[in-house]
Amino acid sequence: MEEKQPSRIEFLQGTLDILILRTLSSGRAHGHAIAKHIRSTSGDVFQVETGSLYPALHRLEAKGWIAASWDLSDKGKRARYYRLTALGKKHLTTEQTRWHAFSRAMGLVLNAAPEEAQ
Amino acid sequence: MTSLFRKLGWLLRRRSREEDLQAELRFHMEETAEEHRLKGASLQDAEHAARRDLGSIALVKENTRATWSWNWFEQFLQDFRYAVRTLIHNPVFTIMAALSLALGIGANTAIYSFLDALLLRSLPVFEPQRLAVLNWHNRWDHDTVFHGGSGNVYDDAKYGFTARIFPYPALEDFEKSQTVFSSLFAYLPTRNLNLTIHGQAEIDAGQYVSGDYFRGLGLNPAAGRFLTPQDDRAGAPPVLVSSFGFSRARFGSATAAVGQSILVNNIPFTVIGVAPPDFFGVDPAVAAEFYIPIHTNLLVDPNRFGEARRRYLNGNDYWIELMGRLRPGVSMTQAQSQLAIIFHTWAETTATTDAERTQLPELHLTNGGNGIDTLRRKYSQPFYLLFAMVGFVLAVACANIANLLLARASARRREIAVRVGLGAGRWRIIRQLLTESVVLALLGGVLGVLFALGGVGFLTARLANSGQGFPLRADLNWHVFGIALALSVGTGLLFGLAPALQAIRVDVVPALKGGRGGERRRRFVPFRLSHALVIAQIGLSMLLLAGAGLFVRTLSNLRAVNLGFNRENVLLFKLNARQAGHRDPEMTRFYGDLQQRFSGILGVRNATLSNSPLVGEGTWNAPVVPLGKPAPERAPNGHGSFGSTLGTHILTVGPEFFTTMQIPLVAGREFDERDRGDSVPVAIVNEAWARVNLGNENPLGQTIVLDPDSKTPLKMEVIGVAKNARYGDLKSEYPAVVYMAFLQNLYRPPEEATYALRSSGDPLALAAAVREIVHQADPRLPVTGMKTQSAMVDETMSAEMMFATLCTGFALLALTIACVGLYGTIAYTVARRTSEIGIRVALGARRTQVLWLVMRQVATMASIGMVLGVLAAFGLSRLIASLLYGVQANDPMTIGIAMGTLLVAVAAASYLPARGAARIEPMVALRQE
Repeated sequence: MEEKQPSRIEFLQGTLDILILRTLSSGRAHGHAIAKHIRSTSGDVFQVETGSLYPALHRLEAKGWIAASWDLSDKGKRARYYRLTALGKKHLTTEQTRWHAFSRAMGLVLNAAPEEAQ
Repeated sequence: MTSLFRKLGWLLRRRSREEDLQAELRFHMEETAEEHRLKGASLQDAEHAARRDLGSIALVKENTRATWSWNWFEQFLQDFRYAVRTLIHNPVFTIMAALSLALGIGANTAIYSFLDALLLRSLPVFEPQRLAVLNWHNRWDHDTVFHGGSGNVYDDAKYGFTARIFPYPALEDFEKSQTVFSSLFAYLPTRNLNLTIHGQAEIDAGQYVSGDYFRGLGLNPAAGRFLTPQDDRAGAPPVLVSSFGFSRARFGSATAAVGQSILVNNIPFTVIGVAPPDFFGVDPAVAAEFYIPIHTNLLVDPNRFGEARRRYLNGNDYWIELMGRLRPGVSMTQAQSQLAIIFHTWAETTATTDAERTQLPELHLTNGGNGIDTLRRKYSQPFYLLFAMVGFVLAVACANIANLLLARASARRREIAVRVGLGAGRWRIIRQLLTESVVLALLGGVLGVLFALGGVGFLTARLANSGQGFPLRADLNWHVFGIALALSVGTGLLFGLAPALQAIRVDVVPALKGGRGGERRRRFVPFRLSHALVIAQIGLSMLLLAGAGLFVRTLSNLRAVNLGFNRENVLLFKLNARQAGHRDPEMTRFYGDLQQRFSGILGVRNATLSNSPLVGEGTWNAPVVPLGKPAPERAPNGHGSFGSTLGTHILTVGPEFFTTMQIPLVAGREFDERDRGDSVPVAIVNEAWARVNLGNENPLGQTIVLDPDSKTPLKMEVIGVAKNARYGDLKSEYPAVVYMAFLQNLYRPPEEATYALRSSGDPLALAAAVREIVHQADPRLPVTGMKTQSAMVDETMSAEMMFATLCTGFALLALTIACVGLYGTIAYTVARRTSEIGIRVALGARRTQVLWLVMRQVATMASIGMVLGVLAAFGLSRLIASLLYGVQANDPMTIGIAMGTLLVAVAAASYLPARGAARIEPMVALRQE
């Protein structure tokens, strides 16, 4: 009956957080736009579930990495816009470095010639 | 940190935040729907698709809300609000529970604050844990090197006769040989002295202290300087260190006091310094107003207990108290082993007979960090006892509330089942139920502290009334509040846990279906928690009732004690002419003249005087034997008769003493105007003395000898035999008393005189006339200790009276709480069994049978509880035996009365619900199903 399943959420958290921060680094956006942007830039690989998106946005806001304000959308509706804070920018930089290092290392291991491992 | 504040902010703007989230999600859905519509879906399909995409809105919201976090705190606030609402919904339950808890917690807090003041506070000195008090103990009470002295000797259960008074030469010997103390110092109370400042006299008590006293305690003066060893020697200029309070009261400030002059018993002293504000001396029982060197007693008190000068040389005269500061690294045990040898060797040199040599006292050290333990010895047992009692009361209250909560938890089974069904975790529910009980307990705790405030005031007033003066100021400090808080939360968890655990053992489906199912059914239920709680309450009440009975009987026994004199309509007061400057032989005449003038006051039937009041202040003791006979075997020598009936107690009394006090004479005459000055020395003996010393011989006309073994024995002729009367305490047997003539002044030279005036009306109405006469005779002479003889007798029982009152109060309190609990439990049981009883009645059970059905259960619980209570009472009552008088600790009658009281209360509490059960109408009961 418990509502949380920690291991899965934690994995998603880290990834989704960076995706959101990266998306916002090119300018402010509302939740729906963020999801759409992630989907399209990832070539429809990442389907961001709404059930994860909003908790993530609010969590990042609580950490002070992004800030929110109400504004009118292009179609004239009230929408909640998120933007990256200075703190968030710093965090994004470190995370990006870590991801690059990580994916480079993964690539090296995965691309290594099979006979060398023996 | 910033994130904490952000969350705190959100917490405050919770409502707008909820609306924001709602709006945000709506916007998202609209955007998604728009997307679908652009792809060509119909309006309705698009909306459906958007909803599908979003999933469960509630879940999204909940998950989002979870990131606002502070979940535990918010949940606590929720629980708290819910608990408060629930409590407000059940005002009767809440008020009863909170009140009984408040009484329990309040009583505990009040008693604890006394224990705190009595036992736990350290002296306000440097490293108090390194202070050690020197004591000696001796199995023998006669033929010992202790020939006499001044100070307390008491019979200790572990050590035998124990005291912390030493001869002065012992101090010099310790100083020469010991290496375990960095400082060793002596002190003794000055008793009341006449202090005159700028011509204004008042009576105050201080301490005689040796030169190393302040250095040894490691204190710094608030002003001026402290005494040094140079100040404490014969012939040194008399100097005085004032207490902080005294300097403020008499000189305006500490600095103003330094250098001022004070007349102490007409001897000029110079104030050289002031002690720190929080320092009261080393005995918490007596706050010292001033400190003067021990050797100044040569000037202030030259003739007290014989010649003061000789005391410094006499190795058998015990009068100074000793304390030492352990050197760093030296343990108490190491110090004791060295000092014990030194003292033993030294004491051996003071033995005057072989018997004394084989019965030497042994030295032991006690911790001095909390000061000396006069008060602790006197009050700690009573207060521990009271603490245990109030602990029991609190336990009863807890058991009671646990029971009420159990009943309520069963009633709330449905509510809890709903919450479990909706997915609440068990732990979450336990936490919520515990929050409720802790909130309840805290409510009780807050009320309890209020009760405690009143209780401390009441107790302090009662203790201060006890005449012996109770100097402790028990106040509600943080210690005490901490205890109250810990008690509240602790009891809350304690009585909340069982019901909470029981509550979550619920089968959801049957409970939701309603009716009486849903409780986890067990095939065989031999033991119910609620029954155990009721039994515990009855047992504890039984224990407390038995205890209360014993103290009430003790008090009534004390009240019924035959005093041997008539306490009604007698006014007592004291005068100390020596301190006002009078000297023998003029002083005795002065006292005698005053007595005659008092007897002339209108409304005074007789007036007399003596060197001590009859009860409440101890006795004078000295050996007196018939001429040519030895003292009775095993009679204690000298002062300090150790309460033996064989020692002789001496009271010097003026003319008309026996008429005034209405002590009947069996033979001969009482002292009159003839017995003064140089007339033949005379004495009156009481029957107890005659029986011990003369057997069946007629005492009248016999010659008896005071101090037969001294250089100056005194022969007296017995002119009268008096009936036995109390002298000293009320509890022991009648003492053997020799009355000597005050106006002959042949005993120790008197200091103060206690006057007794028998009046025809209210004795206190004579006060003004008495003061007027004294003022005319000598304006320097203050009248002190004015009170009636009955008040003085009552004061000696004040402790017992307080005990009896408090114990009875606590026992009734526990009984009331237990009865309320019993009533609740039975009423609840009946309610649960309504349908069963309905069926029984429908099948033909008679009302009395139903009544019996319920009462049988009560009877079972009551008898088990009572048996346990009586067993506990037998086991524990030995502990209070020393506080009882005239009644055995396992007195069957007292226990019988307690059982009777309990039975009546239990029957009354359970009869109402049982009768309710008997009146159940089968149709009504069955329709409920």
